[in-house]
Amino acid sequence: MFGKGLLKGLKITIGRFFGKKSTVQYPEERLPLPDRFYGKPDFHYDKCIACNLCVNACPNKVIKLGTETVEKKKVVTGYHFDQQYCLFCGLCEEACPTDAIKFTKDFELTTYDRDTIGIEFVKQGQIDKKIKEVKQAAAEKAAAAEKAAAEKAAAETKSQTEEADKAETTNKEGGA
Amino acid sequence: MENIFVNAAGGIRNLLESAGLPSLVVDISIMTTIFVAILVFVLLNVLWLVYMERKVSAYIQCRIGPNRVGPMGIFQTIADTVKLISKEIIIPKNTNKKLFLLAPVMIFMPPMAVFAVTPFGKGMVALDLNIGVYYFVALASLSTVVIWMAGWTSNNKYSLLGSMRVVAQMVSYEVPLLLSIVGVVLLTGTMNLTGIITAQQSVWMIFLQPVAFLIYLIAAVAETNRTPFDLVEGESEIITGPFTEYSGMGFAFFFLAEYANVLLVSMLASILFLGGWLAPFGLTFIPSWIWLLLKVYLVIFLLMWFRWTYPRTRIDQMMAFCWKVLVPLAIVNIFVTGIGKYLYESVRW
Ligand code: SF4
Ligand code: SF4
Repeated sequence: MFGKGLLKGLKITIGRFFGKKSTVQYPEERLPLPDRFYGKPDFHYDKCIACNLCVNACPNKVIKLGTETVEKKKVVTGYHFDQQYCLFCGLCEEACPTDAIKFTKDFELTTYDRDTIGIEFVKQGQIDKKIKEVKQAAAEKAAAAEKAAAEKAAAETKSQTEEADKAETTNKEGGA
Repeated sequence: MENIFVNAAGGIRNLLESAGLPSLVVDISIMTTIFVAILVFVLLNVLWLVYMERKVSAYIQCRIGPNRVGPMGIFQTIADTVKLISKEIIIPKNTNKKLFLLAPVMIFMPPMAVFAVTPFGKGMVALDLNIGVYYFVALASLSTVVIWMAGWTSNNKYSLLGSMRVVAQMVSYEVPLLLSIVGVVLLTGTMNLTGIITAQQSVWMIFLQPVAFLIYLIAAVAETNRTPFDLVEGESEIITGPFTEYSGMGFAFFFLAEYANVLLVSMLASILFLGGWLAPFGLTFIPSWIWLLLKVYLVIFLLMWFRWTYPRTRIDQMMAFCWKVLVPLAIVNIFVTGIGKYLYESVRW
């Protein structure tokens, strides 16, 4: 019949008209993000061991790692993330042995100017705390070592004096 | 409710007469009030129609449509209009400046003039012309000239092509449109719009003239330059056709006039075929003007539904369809209607 296709088209569109709408009202409603979504990065200062693996893994030289050696231990003093160059490839996350760098699901990364797009994760307070901790730990270790050494020395002197005493007594006995 | 507008007009008349004004002044001021009221009615409807079109298109495409400006986005058109008013009107070099600026103003004239004879409800007609149908169609087709004017003065190949299409399309589709109306006029025996409505008291014309209604609807889509016959502004070929060079409010006028024309053809459709302001099933407690609006919006929804369902046709297909299908069909319809009426009358007497 002539016009059958036209009627069919009308039927489909009226079905759509009363059907479910697929719009998601973005800022208020959001679609669920997949588990492996790479959004804004997150850095755990305390987990990082300053191994530099993430820096080497990154194809875009996004990460700048600052370190300082305190008492023979490497302390992270800066972890700058130049977000505008990041591909969100996740290679840094894969490379990290301690899961210190992780990606969250936050994808709203826009900023009003270029200077604020890079992220400096490490705060001065964290560095100070860490250095203090490291120093304290080192000091404690040193103190412990000293104490152990002193104990050892004391024990040695003690045994020496005992031996000397023994020798004296034997000498005395021998002389008698 | 039924006579709210008629009473309001009568009240104003009494007030002016009791103020001791001469009857000529009273008549003129009453007429002015009525025309301003019609103007406001049309403009409000046009604003609403733009919003409605966006909503209908959105719903058909599984979207929500404008919903940020005001409740349900109802003030979206107003926001858009304000934006367009604030834009610069660019007048290209080598255009006929006067005509170029005149066209967007004139485009509103034919639809506005036509609404003067439209019966909006029982006793609600500004001018009860006895050749109302004739006046209606004659003036409505004048917008062709205005669009041609816009295209010609723009001095641009796309505008010219677009306006040539307008003339070809609108003049061609005027023929089946008129021929389909002839069937109704034959049956009712009058060209007075109020007369046609009262003649449908027992049965609506759509049941006596279904073919005419179909032809009218198709021709109306073409007359208002809407999809599937919107070749005039086929974006992929000729940008926006005659309106290519217009910017700001000039463009907005053409855009809004399209909706004024939609309102107009839907009005005529509901008057001629759907019984105008007559209440169906004896539901007379709802005022007649509300019934007319309901019917008009039913037809408008139909047009919007068509628009968002069908793709654009090609110009040769469209012309062939008009001259090879619609016109012969309309002529046959008149013929059959005439014979049917003759037989009916000879059987009755
Ligand atoms: S996600 Fe890829 S590009 Fe971004 S910092 Fe990590 S390794 Fe570099
Ligand atoms: S790979 Fe992980 S632990 Fe190593 S420096 Fe990078 S963030 Fe720190």
